[in-house]
Amino acid sequence: MTLAQIAALTVLAVGIGQLKSGRQLALLAVSTAVLFWLQPLEPLPTLGYWLPFGTLALTIISWVLTSESAARSWSQTWPAAAVIVGVAILVHLNGITGGRLNPAIVSPRPSQALFAIVVTAGLASLLWRWKAPQPFFRIGLSGLIVLAFILIKAPGLVGAAVTLWRSLPLVRGSVDAEVPFSWLGFSYVAFRLLHTVRDRQAGRLPAVSLGEYVIYVIFFPAFTAGPIDRVERFAGDLRSPLELRNDDWLDAGTRLVLGLFKKFVVADLLAVISISDVLVQHVKSAGWMWLFLYAYAFRIYFDFSGYTDIAIGMGRLLGVRLPENFNAPYLKPNIALFWNSWHMSLTQWFRSYVFNPLTRRLRSDRPSLPTWLAVLVTQLVTMVLIGLWHGITWGFALWGLWHGLGLFAHNRWAEFTRGRWPAGSASPSATRAVGILGMILTFNFVAVGWLLFGLSTPALAWQALRMLVAAI
Amino acid sequence: MHDELISQLESHMAARILKQPGRRIAADEPIISSGLIGSFDLIDVALYVEEAFGVRIADTELNSATFDTLGQLADLIQSRQSEC
Repeated sequence: MTLAQIAALTVLAVGIGQLKSGRQLALLAVSTAVLFWLQPLEPLPTLGYWLPFGTLALTIISWVLTSESAARSWSQTWPAAAVIVGVAILVHLNGITGGRLNPAIVSPRPSQALFAIVVTAGLASLLWRWKAPQPFFRIGLSGLIVLAFILIKAPGLVGAAVTLWRSLPLVRGSVDAEVPFSWLGFSYVAFRLLHTVRDRQAGRLPAVSLGEYVIYVIFFPAFTAGPIDRVERFAGDLRSPLELRNDDWLDAGTRLVLGLFKKFVVADLLAVISISDVLVQHVKSAGWMWLFLYAYAFRIYFDFSGYTDIAIGMGRLLGVRLPENFNAPYLKPNIALFWNSWHMSLTQWFRSYVFNPLTRRLRSDRPSLPTWLAVLVTQLVTMVLIGLWHGITWGFALWGLWHGLGLFAHNRWAEFTRGRWPAGSASPSATRAVGILGMILTFNFVAVGWLLFGLSTPALAWQALRMLVAAI
Repeated sequence: MHDELISQLESHMAARILKQPGRRIAADEPIISSGLIGSFDLIDVALYVEEAFGVRIADTELNSATFDTLGQLADLIQSRQSEC
């Protein structure tokens, strides 16, 4: 997001937060409009409209399939549905008349947009009434979300999908091969949807209205960069009366200013001296390489945590306390505590839906499996998937593998030392020294891992690593 | 009852999870956020609670936001038992 966009969204958040009634519907309307407003230019012109539309359609269908039929109320549903459809139509009309809301959006033909709205509404109505096969549909829905996720995260598949799309009769205009494909916010949208589907399957999802559900999925402060909240916590905040006290204003303002400073001053300055494909090929000294690597490590932290601060600050203005995503991760004495403090909402998601179920299954169903092997399997699977969440490339997979092996090594070390050197057996100064040593080691382990994350190929990362190691 | 529960959890955790049978764990000592027990150990704690007290802690609840001390874990177990 640009500074101007953040400023506009903050003004909108302040305005909505001041509403005495109709706050939810206003939030729904603005979040829906922002979905279209922020969508960047696409290689196929009309995708700028269809992708946000697809997010909305998928979210509505997910709500129908995850909400308890007894808890659905038509009187609560129709105003939210009317707002969503109304905004989709207004954006479409705006696109036809010149696209001032977002010049990147080229509206499809009115007949096509109307057809898509009718099909979505028809499908939602059908699923609303057709209760028996819903468990099967939920499995299908999970598969569809995962498939869409894989499609947008795999660069090669995207190219094939664009070619396929071009051949469809729905498409207007030519393909701009120079423009990258981007389904804005879908990485986060998909994981929010999967959380609700999975919890519904487990019978744990609380009743939420259509409006609450859609706002949760596309909440504009957290739409592009998280955090990934949990729907029951989020809906609780939405239902609470909003009365901002001086402390809340101060809190929100502080987070916003801090976030802007981190993102647009610190991170953007560090970006100039951070490792990149070009820099790696021109650096001749290991010392400079270490400096550029450390700059990247801090840049990625300040960039991402800055965005999180902005989202949390904006959320406060709307009465929503979004979860924290970072807790001084580079000051942690080991890699396990680092991962308890880095991108916390994503790691918690993976613990809840990948690591914990997998570990529980292995411990319950295969008690004869050696503990070390169970730890290795669960850590590697979880961390490689976290890597692939960022993009389906070898670099991200290897980055996940690097951290999985680090967590495994730490687990084994902790197991080895537990019986031999119990906590509290060393003097306070020795404990402090070990903590500082652990922190330095952990930071450098994480920093070296960023080579795989920040450079476009593992070959470049290897080249950089060889130079770094040569200095030691 | 509550203290007994905490004591039972403490002795299991010290002996089986931490491998330090004599270790004391205070009822209000953070066990997850402090890194005392890792995410893998947490599953063993959940399986023990399920087996010993007949209380299921869901995968989504295995985090420091749900319980971070033995006292909070004992509260959770008791509240689940009273629901049954």
